Amino acid sequence: MLSVIRGGRVVDPTASRDAVGDVWIEDGHVIEAPGREPDRVIDAAGCVVMAGGVEVHSHIAGGNVITSRLLLPELYVSEAAPEGHPFAHAGGAAAWIGATYARMGYTTAVEPAMPPTHALGTQLELADIPLLDRGALTVMGNDDHLLQLLRDGEGANAVRDLVALNIATSRGLGVKCINAGGASAFKDGALKLALDDEIPCYGLSTRTIMGALLDAVEALKVPHPLHVHCNNLGLPGADDSFMATLDAAEGRRIHFAHAQFYAYGATDDGKGFRSAAERIARAIGDNPQATLDIGQVVFGQTVTVSLDILRQFAGRKGANPKKWVVNAGDAEGGGVVPFLYRPKGPTSSLQWAIGLEIMLLSPDPERTILTTDHPNGGPFTQYPRIIHLLMDKGEREREIAALPGVVGERSGLPGIDREYSLSEIAQLTRSGPAKLLGLADKGHLRPGARADVAVYRDDSNRTAMFTAAKLVLKDGVPIVEDGEVVEWRSGRTLSLVMDADKAMAKRTDSYLTDRFGTGLDSFTVPDEAFDAPTFEAVPCRV
Amino acid sequence: MPAWVKGAAADMDTALSAAVELLGAARTPVIAGLNADVSAIRAAYDLAGRVGASVDTLGAAGTYAELGALSRVGAMTSTPAEVVGRADAVLVVGSAPWNAALSARILDARPSRGRAAGSDRALLALGGSAPQGGTTIPAENGILPALALLRAHLRGHLADDSPIAGAAERLSGSLYVAVLYDPAEIGEFGVETVQGLVVDLNDRTRAFALPVQGGNQDRAVVPVAAWTTGQAPRVGFGRRVPEHDPWRFDAARQVAAGEADAALWIASVPAPAPDWLGRVPSIALMGDAAADAAEVVIGVGVPGRDHGGVLWNDTRAALTYWPAQGAGAPADLPSAAAVIGQLAQRLAGRSETAC
Repeated sequence: MLSVIRGGRVVDPTASRDAVGDVWIEDGHVIEAPGREPDRVIDAAGCVVMAGGVEVHSHIAGGNVITSRLLLPELYVSEAAPEGHPFAHAGGAAAWIGATYARMGYTTAVEPAMPPTHALGTQLELADIPLLDRGALTVMGNDDHLLQLLRDGEGANAVRDLVALNIATSRGLGVKCINAGGASAFKDGALKLALDDEIPCYGLSTRTIMGALLDAVEALKVPHPLHVHCNNLGLPGADDSFMATLDAAEGRRIHFAHAQFYAYGATDDGKGFRSAAERIARAIGDNPQATLDIGQVVFGQTVTVSLDILRQFAGRKGANPKKWVVNAGDAEGGGVVPFLYRPKGPTSSLQWAIGLEIMLLSPDPERTILTTDHPNGGPFTQYPRIIHLLMDKGEREREIAALPGVVGERSGLPGIDREYSLSEIAQLTRSGPAKLLGLADKGHLRPGARADVAVYRDDSNRTAMFTAAKLVLKDGVPIVEDGEVVEWRSGRTLSLVMDADKAMAKRTDSYLTDRFGTGLDSFTVPDEAFDAPTFEAVPCRV
Repeated sequence: MPAWVKGAAADMDTALSAAVELLGAARTPVIAGLNADVSAIRAAYDLAGRVGASVDTLGAAGTYAELGALSRVGAMTSTPAEVVGRADAVLVVGSAPWNAALSARILDARPSRGRAAGSDRALLALGGSAPQGGTTIPAENGILPALALLRAHLRGHLADDSPIAGAAERLSGSLYVAVLYDPAEIGEFGVETVQGLVVDLNDRTRAFALPVQGGNQDRAVVPVAAWTTGQAPRVGFGRRVPEHDPWRFDAARQVAAGEADAALWIASVPAPAPDWLGRVPSIALMGDAAADAAEVVIGVGVPGRDHGGVLWNDTRAALTYWPAQGAGAPADLPSAAAVIGQLAQRLAGRSETAC
């Protein structure tokens, strides 16, 4: 079927396009104007037309997310089911996640923390998120097998082969390391860790582990650069950890997860923190090989979920309500700590300001991607509000006026005049994340793009505009109309094409059998485990 | 294909029709057991959501002892492979964990990873008896009081030369402590006390709890339930919104109270059917089908034997895929997921005609 979205303001920064025009769609893809009559005309007059949103870092599946639901049964509210899907209004459930993203015009979402030991469970859960294409990053950096290879000085090829095997076995879309060595150190008694501290029993450091993974990811031509969660998240002085990690990357590509939580410069007394947004934004400007996502904080109750068990154990005493889970798992495990970002509280207000400040000082919105690190900084449902604040200085001033003075004293936010354009919002939420993940047919509307398209009514109330899209197409099919889901289709799970080295597979099988009592077979994610076709292959870089 | 209606052998179509009649006539059906692979568990929730049934599981007593404590105080836990590889002290609470396969792995090996690697492994039994070389801590007044005494010693609230004091000292001086328990045996307060004890120990060393639950697929149901409904397994859909209530949606209670008017029992992984199944009009999907187990009985394949399926893997403490063994299922033995899917489809067709 040939369709045209006619007369909308088409915003595609990758084509320097921001003008009223048409978008032609056939067979699930965007095409050039074909000079034929369309079968269907979608009137987009008065609307803004963008590619579907792409999420790079949102905790939407996996053991921690499940634990958070069990720890806090009261966190979400369920509402009566709509026609067509019994669980779409079950608060916090997979179907609710898919529906809520889709209503906002997002069509792709990536779970950033899939432990290889629990890949199948994570992938089954992701597959139950409807409407979206999804993917997961394979987490390495604390597992004994990798640390043994490094301790024994086995060399870059062995590490590369082990990383390839883990991606292939878990069917990941990229690789992440989380406070590399930190979980291992925690199990051996450590309570903090800096870049060059020794990991007990291995004689390694975060620097050496991360460096090896950076090399492996490059050698394997994984499109997404190594996704790095640094040491010392959330502590005053964490900006030093961020900068040291950037230096340690030595010019290799690197993605920093939830940078807001590191943009905390220590105050002179060492007890408090002030915004280091300027320092972080400048570093990104100076290092074109580096990207970050924000981890914006929003006010209210949430739950923090992280595989950084060292950090989560340290943060347990701040749990609100006072209950928490730390699971010292087979490598990282996980920590789930409920948290309240106190509305108008001085600390949370400063955190809120710092995230916005990084984005507003960003020299390149394609490399400073909007996330809340859902649910760690707050729920992803707050994206429309955050976009509103970025686009509207008056709206920011009204919010700042209601917050404590610390926002002006310890951050530069009140002095920033910048207002994001729609093009820059598209960079922040579409083209930037799609490029970062290496998804060539997403995040833009040029011919050849997948017809994942969001149509919004242009409205100066950007919160309203981006909360409920007028129309969302997934592969050319309308899935949302006037903010409601109209077609419950299933997306695909994107996973890298990755060959595993046979010798490494054999060796790993024997290692796993010795440690777990079952071999590599029990770690696989076979097609047969899914009730419907699920995976789509994403090629590596050429 | 083995199927029976009121004890008489029937073909699949007849059995399915009888099942659809039975479920279609019910106003408050329960779907219980769910001792099955992930596909069947998913199908069961989908059916429950569509017909307004409530859901309960085979191992709910233990599952809710664990989940009740979790949602009250949280937890600090480890995994079987981590305990085998790292623990230099293992405290086994109660007697049930000694029957788990994990105990043999713990007895067979010394710590091999982490800072306790190469050292001896101390085995302490509280409320059970330790094997040779281990230490048995008496619990004459029951497990819960003994646990409370042990915790009091660890916190320095008590001081004497009792065996419990000795155990507290031994645990505090270890590098990696694991506390094994079966939630069904020690109950919600027991689990909460174990977690408190473990958290206290972490002020001095590393310590983790490890629940050992065997004999059912509840640990496959829990994650599927959580991602499907946002809640733990016992959920009712009677009001078109998933309502989680561990007391209300206890299937045995619902039947005893006369609240349930039909039941669908699912045990493709063979398990004994509950007593209450005969007290309401019922359907049973069973891996080891018996003609008289319910009003309608449909024999289904056993996942991991007759057909492939995702099951909870006790050894790995994870969901893993189990392929069919040998040649797989006889052609006429459907999977539980397929039968539940058929029921949902026929019920949907039926309600359309009714309207």
